Amino acid sequence: MLGKAVVQNAFFGQQQRGMATLKAISMRLKSVKNIQKITQSMKMVSAAKYARAERELKQVRPIGNGAKQFYEQAEIAPPEDVPQKLVIAITSDRGLCGAVHTSVARHIRTELAKDDQNIKVVCVGDKSKAILSRIYGKNIILACNEIGRLPPTFGDASKLADAVLKSEYKFGSGEIVYNRFKSVVSYQTSILPVYSLQSVAASPKLSIYDSLDDEVIQSYLEFSLASLLFYSMKEGACSEQSSRMTAMDNASKNAGEMIDKLTLTFNRTRQAVITRELIEIISGASAL
Amino acid sequence: MSAWRQAGLNYINYSKISAKLLRQALKSDLKADALKREASHLKVTKWEDGKPIKTSEY
Repeated sequence: MLGKAVVQNAFFGQQQRGMATLKAISMRLKSVKNIQKITQSMKMVSAAKYARAERELKQVRPIGNGAKQFYEQAEIAPPEDVPQKLVIAITSDRGLCGAVHTSVARHIRTELAKDDQNIKVVCVGDKSKAILSRIYGKNIILACNEIGRLPPTFGDASKLADAVLKSEYKFGSGEIVYNRFKSVVSYQTSILPVYSLQSVAASPKLSIYDSLDDEVIQSYLEFSLASLLFYSMKEGACSEQSSRMTAMDNASKNAGEMIDKLTLTFNRTRQAVITRELIEIISGASAL
Repeated sequence: MSAWRQAGLNYINYSKISAKLLRQALKSDLKADALKREASHLKVTKWEDGKPIKTSEY
């Protein structure tokens, strides 16, 4: 818009070179002010959503830790004869939240770059799908959307876990890639391990658990997949909202700086115009 | 083998149905809150060869 105004002025030769017209500046000022209003209200909305997400995350953390403990205590190792891996990317549909989605996608992309034959990807959220489908579209076996508008529920997680189990993809080991919420200003892209029934049953340390038969293990693994997914979705949602809050805060700050600069140039140009008009009047009068 | 697994359900479906029944059995003042937790909006699509397939329904 500014460039166009400059070209127009040069054409008519009405103003000095490089000086935008008053109208152009005021239009730009108005649009930046509107953008600031939008980013500010988005920040408020995500602050409210973040508070809720954090409260819910606190309740979910024990579920996730409990499910995680089982794998840690049993010391399950990924089977060497089954190279197939499953990677679940936990993102959401919504953008404008810094690098939360890209860092999850980047983690998966580096893994796929090493070995794109034996890894299949489940994309949760449109963002990871959009990033990964361009190069590694053939590796995607499931994609989910409609997540991120509302806080994730256990129903969502169990739907996804059910779909993963029914996908007929035989994997030896798997991982859930998600953003672990650390504080309002930081999150860490982490992984949670997932194993198949065969690798759990083959684990030598499984005997520390009492009265296990295959069916109990199978039922527990199905349930623990759902609870791990639920936990990672909650962590992801909380990091996303906190990251969106900071991103929008920065955007409003930048818009504020721009508004200051534009107001300054606006006033300067206005005065320049007034001065020029005065000079024209005075020199006109003295020429009489 | 338990009856629900023979019927083709896995533990996720089984516990989902039990949770649903339990929620329905609650008293009405607690029920409203509990029913909200049941909602699920996630949509799952199957992909093959880099393209989504329409037919799958979960």
